Amino acid sequence: MIRVAVKESQLTRMLVFSLLLHVTMFVVIGRFGYFMLSHQPATQAYYVDVVNLPVANPQSGNPSPSIENAPAKQAPIRQEMSRPASDTASTVSPKAAPSVKKEQMPAETNEEFAKRLAALEKKAEGRRLGEALDDLRRRSADAGRAGMPGAKGKEAGSDYGSYIQSRLRDAFNSTIAYQSRNPEVVIKLRINRFGKVIGYRMERSSRDKLFEAAVARAIDIAEEHFPPPPAGGDFEQGFIFRPEGVGKK
Amino acid sequence: MKKIASFLIVILLIPVLLRAEQNYLEVIAQGSKQLPLAIAPAISLGGGQDGEIAGTVGEVLKFDLTLAGPFSVISGTSGAGQSGIRPGEFDMAPWRAIGAAYLIKSGYIASGGTITVEFRLYDVARGKALAAKRYTGSRKEMRRMAHSFSDETMLAVTGEKGPFTGRIAFVSRASGNKEISVMDYDGHNVQRLTRNRSINLNPDISPDAGQIIFTSYKRGNPDLYRTPISGGSVARISSRIGMNFTGAWSPDGNKIALSMSKDGNPEIYKIGTDGKLLARLTKNDAIDISPSWSPDGSKIAFVSDRLGSPQIFIMNADGSGVHRLTRSGTYNVNPSWSPKGDRILYSRLHPGGFQIHSISPDGSDDTQLTTQGRNENPRWSPDGRFITFGSNRGGKEAIYVMRADGSSQIKVSRSGGGDSQPVWSSRR
Repeated sequence: MIRVAVKESQLTRMLVFSLLLHVTMFVVIGRFGYFMLSHQPATQAYYVDVVNLPVANPQSGNPSPSIENAPAKQAPIRQEMSRPASDTASTVSPKAAPSVKKEQMPAETNEEFAKRLAALEKKAEGRRLGEALDDLRRRSADAGRAGMPGAKGKEAGSDYGSYIQSRLRDAFNSTIAYQSRNPEVVIKLRINRFGKVIGYRMERSSRDKLFEAAVARAIDIAEEHFPPPPAGGDFEQGFIFRPEGVGKK
Repeated sequence: MKKIASFLIVILLIPVLLRAEQNYLEVIAQGSKQLPLAIAPAISLGGGQDGEIAGTVGEVLKFDLTLAGPFSVISGTSGAGQSGIRPGEFDMAPWRAIGAAYLIKSGYIASGGTITVEFRLYDVARGKALAAKRYTGSRKEMRRMAHSFSDETMLAVTGEKGPFTGRIAFVSRASGNKEISVMDYDGHNVQRLTRNRSINLNPDISPDAGQIIFTSYKRGNPDLYRTPISGGSVARISSRIGMNFTGAWSPDGNKIALSMSKDGNPEIYKIGTDGKLLARLTKNDAIDISPSWSPDGSKIAFVSDRLGSPQIFIMNADGSGVHRLTRSGTYNVNPSWSPKGDRILYSRLHPGGFQIHSISPDGSDDTQLTTQGRNENPRWSPDGRFITFGSNRGGKEAIYVMRADGSSQIKVSRSGGGDSQPVWSSRR
C-alpha cells in the first residue's frame, strides 16, 4: 500500500510538472508568438512588385514605363476595329452594287478605316497607360513609399530597414578600415521623417577608433540615399557593423 | 522547486533574448581599406615663398603617412591655389571631389633663421578640423616639425600617436670602425655618438629616450657604457672580467639586464643603471644572452643554447619559471618583446641566412616576415606598429623599416653601407 501511495505521489508530481511545462509553453506561444510563424508581427512591407508591373524593367527598377514596352501592344483593340465605315453598304445587295461603286468604296473606306484605327489605337493605348499609372499610384499610396525605385535588383530591400541596411553596406564597403583583430560596433540609428539621420547611439564600442570612424563615414555617405521612412514618423533600427569573417560574439 | 523555477524562467527568457538579437541588422564589409589622405602643398602665411620649407614638409608628411598603413596618400594639387589653411579660408569641395577622406593643410612663416609651421588636419567628408599644431624653431627642426604632425595625425585618426619623431640608434661602419650613431627614423640627421675607433656594439635606448647603453671594446675588454643620446660624456657601467654585452633597459628605466661571463660562461644578470649588481638570473653551463624585457617588466625573453642549439626562452624577471618559446628552427636569436606585449620578434637561421619572425608569447602564430637577403636584429618602434631591422638585401648592410605585419619594407639608412643593429627610441 505504501509503495502504491509512493508511486501515486510520484505520478502526481510528474503530472503537475508536465502540466506546468505545458502551461508555460502555451504562455510562451500565446504571449510572444515566437514559435508560430503566422503569429509573428508582420513587418510592414513597403514594396512595389516591379516584376509584375506591366511595363517596368525589374533590373532598372524604373517605375515609369516606356511607351514601346507598354502592354497595350500585346492586347489589340477589337470592337472598334470590327465596325468599318462601309457597314452601311452591306445593306445594299451585292448584285445592285455598281462596279464603279465597288472600286470607289474600298479606297474611301480604307483611308477612313486607317485613320480611325490609328485614332482608336492611340486612344486605347493612352487609356491603358493611364490605367497602369493609376494602378501604380494606387499601390504607392497604399504601401507608403514605392519600393525604393532607385534601387537595383538584388539590392532593393522589401522593407525600409533592409533598404537602409543595403545602403549602409554599400557605403561601409568603401570606408571599412580597422586596426584591431575583431572589431564590432553595435549602434541604434535614428532617421527622421525626411530621411535624415537624427543621430545614432553606440551600444557597443569596438575600442578601435579607425573602425568606428569608418562606421561613421559609412553612415554619412549612406544618408544621402536614405528616403523618408514610409510610416511618416521617425525610424529607429539597430545595426551591427563588423568586417567579413569576424563571427558573432 | 528552485530548479524548476529557474528552468521555467530560462524558457520564458529565451524567446525574448532571441527576438532582441533578431532586431539588429548586420552590416558586413570585406577587408580593410586605406583612407585616402590628401596633403596640400604648404603655403606661405606671411613673408615670401620658401620652396625648401614647402618641399621638405610635404615630403616628410608623405613618407611618414604612406608608411603608416591606414592611409593611401593622394598626391595632387587640388585646391593648390587656395590661400588659407584655417576652416573657412578654403573650399573643401575640390578635395571631396578627388575622393579624399582626410586633408592636411600646412602653412609657414620664415623669418631669418626661425621658421613657424602650422599644420591642420581635416575630415573632408564632415568638413571638420581634427587636429591643429603650430611649431616654431630653427630651419634644422623643419623635418622634426613635420614628423611631429605625422604623429598627431595618427593620434587623431587611430587614437594612438605615431612613432615618427623617434630616432634610431645603430652600429655604423661609415668611418671604417664600428661606431654608434643615431638618426631620424627615416635616415636623415645622422649623428655619430662614439669616435673611439674601436668596436662598439649592441646599442639600447632608455625608455625616456635620453640615454644609450652599448658594449665597447675601446679598453680591450667588452664593457658596457652609457652616453646621452644627444652626445656627450661616455660613462662605463660594467667592466667585469669577460664579456659585458647585449644590455637591455628595463621598461621603468631603473635596471639593465645584460649578459656577463664573469663567472665562466655568459649568463644573464640584472644590474642598476650605475652598474651595481642586483641579481643573477640564469645559472647553467649554457650560453644565455640577449635579454629583452616584457613591457610590464615582469618577464624576460632571452637566447640560450641549453638544449643544444640557440633558442628563445622566457623567464620571470627574477629568473624563475624558465620555459622555451621557439620550437621550430635550429637557430633562433635576437628576441625583441613588443611594446604592447602581444608579440616577440626574433631572427631564425634559414638555409639562405637569417630571416625575421614574429611569434606570440605563448609560442603560437609563428610568422616569417622577411624573405629577401639576410635580415636580423629586429626591434620594435615605440608604438609597436613598425619594426626596424638590419638587412643586406641590397648588397650592403643597411637599416630597414617595415610595418608589424611585414608589409612595406623600406630602406631608411642613407650611408654607403655597413649599418646594423638598429634600435628605435620613443618619441622626443
